Amino acid sequence: MKLCEFIRPASLSAARDNLRELGRKGMILAGGTALHFMQDHTPVTAVDITRLGLSYIKHEGDFYDIGATTPLADIQRYRAPRWALHEICRRISTHQIRNVSTIGGNVCRVFPWADLPVILLAMDARMVIYSGQDEELPADEYFATQPAKRFLDGNVLRSVKVPALMAHHGFGSIKVVRTQASFALVTAAAFLELDGATIKSARIAAGSAIPFPRRLPSVEAALVGREAVGEVFKEAAAKAGQDAPWRGREGMSPEYSRHLAEVTLFDALERAATFARGRTE
Amino acid sequence: MSANPTANFKQVNHSVRKVDAVQLALGKPSYVADFAPRDALIVKMLWSPHPHAKIVSLDVSAAEKMPGVKAVLWHGNVPRIAHCTAGQGFPEPSPYDTFMFDTKVRFVGDRVAAVAAETEEQAKAALAKIKVVYEKLTPVFSIDEAMADGAPIIHDEPEAHVPIPIPYEPKKNLVAKVGCETGDFEKGMKEADFTFDDVYETPYAQHCPIEPYVSLAHIDSAGRIVITTSTQVPFHCRRIVAQTLGIPVQKIRVIKPRIGGGFGSKQEILLEDIVAMFALRTGRPCFWQFTREENFRTGRTRHPIRVRIRAGIKKDGTITAIGMDCWNNTGAYGGHGLTVVSCCGSKVLPLYRCENIHFLGKVYYTNLPVGGAYRGFGATQAFFGMESTMDKMAEAIGMDPLRLRQLNHIKSGEGSPVFAALGEGKEGVPMTVGSCALGECIEKGAAEIGWQNRTDWRTKSGRYRRGIGMACLMQGSSIPHIDMGGASIKMNEDGSFNLLVGATDLGTGSDTVLAQIAAEELCTATDKMIVYSSDTDMTPFDVGAYASSTTYLSGEAARKAAADAKRQILHTGAEMLNLPEDQVVCKDAHVQSKDGKLKVSYGDISCYSLYSKNQYQIIGTASHFTQKSPPPFAAHFAEIEVDTWTGNVKVLKYVSTIDCGTAINPALCEGQTEGGTLNGISYALTEQYLFKNGRMTNASFTDYHIFSMRDRAPIKAIIVPSYEDTGPFGAKSVSEICINGPAPVFGNAIYNATGARLNEFPFTPEKVLQAIQAVKR
Amino acid sequence: MIKHPHTVTFTLNGELKTFITRPDEKLLDLLRREGYKGTKYGCGQGTCGACTVLMDGRAIYSCLLFAMQAENRDVRTIESVGTHDKPSEFQQELIDGAAVQCGFCIPGMIMSAEALMQAEDTYPDDIVREYMDGNLCRCTGYEKIWGALRRVLDRKEGNREQGTGATHP
Repeated sequence: MKLCEFIRPASLSAARDNLRELGRKGMILAGGTALHFMQDHTPVTAVDITRLGLSYIKHEGDFYDIGATTPLADIQRYRAPRWALHEICRRISTHQIRNVSTIGGNVCRVFPWADLPVILLAMDARMVIYSGQDEELPADEYFATQPAKRFLDGNVLRSVKVPALMAHHGFGSIKVVRTQASFALVTAAAFLELDGATIKSARIAAGSAIPFPRRLPSVEAALVGREAVGEVFKEAAAKAGQDAPWRGREGMSPEYSRHLAEVTLFDALERAATFARGRTE
Repeated sequence: MSANPTANFKQVNHSVRKVDAVQLALGKPSYVADFAPRDALIVKMLWSPHPHAKIVSLDVSAAEKMPGVKAVLWHGNVPRIAHCTAGQGFPEPSPYDTFMFDTKVRFVGDRVAAVAAETEEQAKAALAKIKVVYEKLTPVFSIDEAMADGAPIIHDEPEAHVPIPIPYEPKKNLVAKVGCETGDFEKGMKEADFTFDDVYETPYAQHCPIEPYVSLAHIDSAGRIVITTSTQVPFHCRRIVAQTLGIPVQKIRVIKPRIGGGFGSKQEILLEDIVAMFALRTGRPCFWQFTREENFRTGRTRHPIRVRIRAGIKKDGTITAIGMDCWNNTGAYGGHGLTVVSCCGSKVLPLYRCENIHFLGKVYYTNLPVGGAYRGFGATQAFFGMESTMDKMAEAIGMDPLRLRQLNHIKSGEGSPVFAALGEGKEGVPMTVGSCALGECIEKGAAEIGWQNRTDWRTKSGRYRRGIGMACLMQGSSIPHIDMGGASIKMNEDGSFNLLVGATDLGTGSDTVLAQIAAEELCTATDKMIVYSSDTDMTPFDVGAYASSTTYLSGEAARKAAADAKRQILHTGAEMLNLPEDQVVCKDAHVQSKDGKLKVSYGDISCYSLYSKNQYQIIGTASHFTQKSPPPFAAHFAEIEVDTWTGNVKVLKYVSTIDCGTAINPALCEGQTEGGTLNGISYALTEQYLFKNGRMTNASFTDYHIFSMRDRAPIKAIIVPSYEDTGPFGAKSVSEICINGPAPVFGNAIYNATGARLNEFPFTPEKVLQAIQAVKR
Repeated sequence: MIKHPHTVTFTLNGELKTFITRPDEKLLDLLRREGYKGTKYGCGQGTCGACTVLMDGRAIYSCLLFAMQAENRDVRTIESVGTHDKPSEFQQELIDGAAVQCGFCIPGMIMSAEALMQAEDTYPDDIVREYMDGNLCRCTGYEKIWGALRRVLDRKEGNREQGTGATHP
């Protein structure tokens, strides 16, 4: 990838027109950090979408609407009742990266170690894709395969809608790293809907150490209808091996990776339960 | 020596401001890259993608025709002169096994061909046009493979040799062998109530200075080559570049500006021969800066060493025998191989009293990254096994491991036969320890960590378990009878002084420390010193910044030069005051009569000497080499918390005590200790070289895992003073010793938390968890 | 020779400037070739922080930003912070506190701290660590840098409390 031209369209529709026209010779640019690591030397035109008013967080009824070019740092600093996204954003890379890297950049091309898709899967977020008109895709569908394919024809991610957590909801995410700024060994996220002490529904997702971020249905199945207590969490987390092939990372064996995932899922579930009981931060 | 010789110090033993702090904090141009002219050619290297291969053919003709390309260097158009890239004393105790370019590549990251072009992009484009045909050879990826019968020979070139008479058998991949025996080791083992025999493995690591390797060369108006380079060894650099290019030393000037960290990595000539050669060929300034990836792959590393420790102990705590066998993997080239393994013995074995000692160190080539000098230099590797063994021995005899160390550690006035037996490339120097405050280090560190609250691992349960561990350490200060440093000091009209030293401040603060020493001797203020280091045209010789030598060795050179200048100041001052020389003294930048009634300022003395009468330049000069290498001592302690479900180790508190003799600048000594300790902490816990077919797979800060401010462990540095009579104002050394502690301290603390004993690090969660799961209660 | 068909205009240390550039030129390279040498190359991969500058008050890695992205922005480098006669408060603390060893990371550290002090009103440790986690130092173990920064921040917090007390008794 070699930037040979640089354009700043005035509107989202103009950006889409530019991208459609350019095809493979166009490259959407928000934070732009990933572009520095693309190895091929294909000449491309950068289409800068950072000045289209897509950097915002709005609380709209039962969801939060987060503009695609909102930097992670803004999500990290945002505060609202039962807001939980900052928890992962403060754990992604470094301060300087969080200042430029956007939520859109993190979910439009998904790397195996990406954290945000894991969280958005567990939260049942919806991605709003602009293709002349807006289309909303639920996270399950959106992350079923590499989302980058959805943007080849010039479509642009407009925003991400994250459901607001209710009083009987619990959410917890855990990112396991060697050092704070490094990529995750395992990232796990747990969303619990409680009915009293009983788990009414659960959305559990994980990423890193598996080929692609995904939900863990066996783990979820082992939770639903049961009491939200440590023993149940432990039993459920032990199903992680059934849902995904765990791979070694950074010299770890696949077996350890799976074990670490189980512990991490347990910790995320505990955190979710604490959240449901009224977490302060 | 008075009861408290440090009490009257006005400059040394004070935390004066670092002389270069302001310019660096303001971001003023200071480092090599800041001086690269805009028209400098950019150098890029084609590196070997193979761990072991013959270059069957190499065609640079297409590259030479690429736009912007001014020159291409490869084995077909440069001199073939065997040399050693390690900057050490001369002749080096390391093999001459390296050529500017060779017809063989020996590790992933070895040189193949270099391009100098107008822009980086053009240089890279030209590299892509170089056609190389390799014949792959069987690679050697471990010590065991290197030692095996019929192992592939990594250095089969006829020129490979060592310039001094030491064992070198490249046909067996053997780079060096060194050993010593004192007393009767086998007898000692028989006398023991308990014996131990364990093998410890220590890993690769990179120094990770934030400034990568970087060099700049240009041809000056007189036709000489001026190399501005990020080096710890400017004078060795000049000698080795002259040797490698086959030109006289006289033709080369090496300038060391401010350096962005080295830690041993820049005690190596890795770029300078290339930029110099390009400058000669093109007549243009030539600039070469490693990328971070190149820093990891091609830059020097810490030698991984396998250390077998055999030891015997009696129930009363008497250590009856210590045997240390080391197998040192030096990678593709042999620089520092012998000296690092020598230091495994010489900087570790003297720490504890023991009559029966066996030491054997062997060094082998492999097709892996090249080992070099790295802070700690062998002691780091060997202390891991030694201090783990101390804890094992204490447990066996039911003694507090702190008590066992107190019983056995060397004390002031004691010697060790190891000092005389093991040197660096030759026999060592007999030595008795002068200053030693290790006992106090242990006491203060133990109090700070709360050692008295330490409990046996068997009493601990639950997911998160805490443990406390300790280790005792020593190092040396300079290499006796080998290292030399020079200094000169000249006086200006306003009573300021130019202090010119060959000693190489690479961020350590040595310019400040040497200025303090000179100012103390001259009875003036440190801020009257204008320090210049180092420039082979301008400053006296110094071997450079390594072997914990600068304060002890170059510091004494600075003190002696100052004393020389002071004699001249007294002479002229006395002349001005019309007093006999024995009736005047220096005080507060004046020469005065003993009663203080008559006095004349340094500024006036200098003006007088320069302009008035019997004119001359007041200039002192001196050199120093050492007879001893007095060890600094340290006791390190840490409290950690182990997550027994994941194996993750969290550092709660680290205590790093240090006896460095007189701390010339206490704040800088703390800084050295804190920095080296944190480097040791991440070395023990998170840093690692991961390989696939000899290629490092994690050559970035993202994947290599050094600590950030968010990872940082709270470190408490405690300076415990002692006074070393042979050092400048009582100083020894401070820089290296601190990195040796964390690995054994954590090994012992993990054991204390969980009962799990690890004989290799980094203590990754998986390894720790496996060890915990293997524990039988 | 290279063509420079593009220009970028931004405020650099308070002055509106226009530079000839190329779309693939990094801000770091532009700054350094224009003489702003205090911004360092340490890794080129957005990990070490030696190239940290402020853009619209936020700390960013200039090695991971194309110069064109700075169009119309407000960019500040270390050259805008402090002078020999009057270093900034943090610079003074670093200097006095022996926190500058090799010094290569220091300009970046200072810029991150500037961002922290501009953006936040209070400075709890975990927030400070989050602002400073993108600047690696291999010399100091961070102890003295942390101490210097903490002294500045504590003073600011103290001043604010005092100030508040004075205006709203």
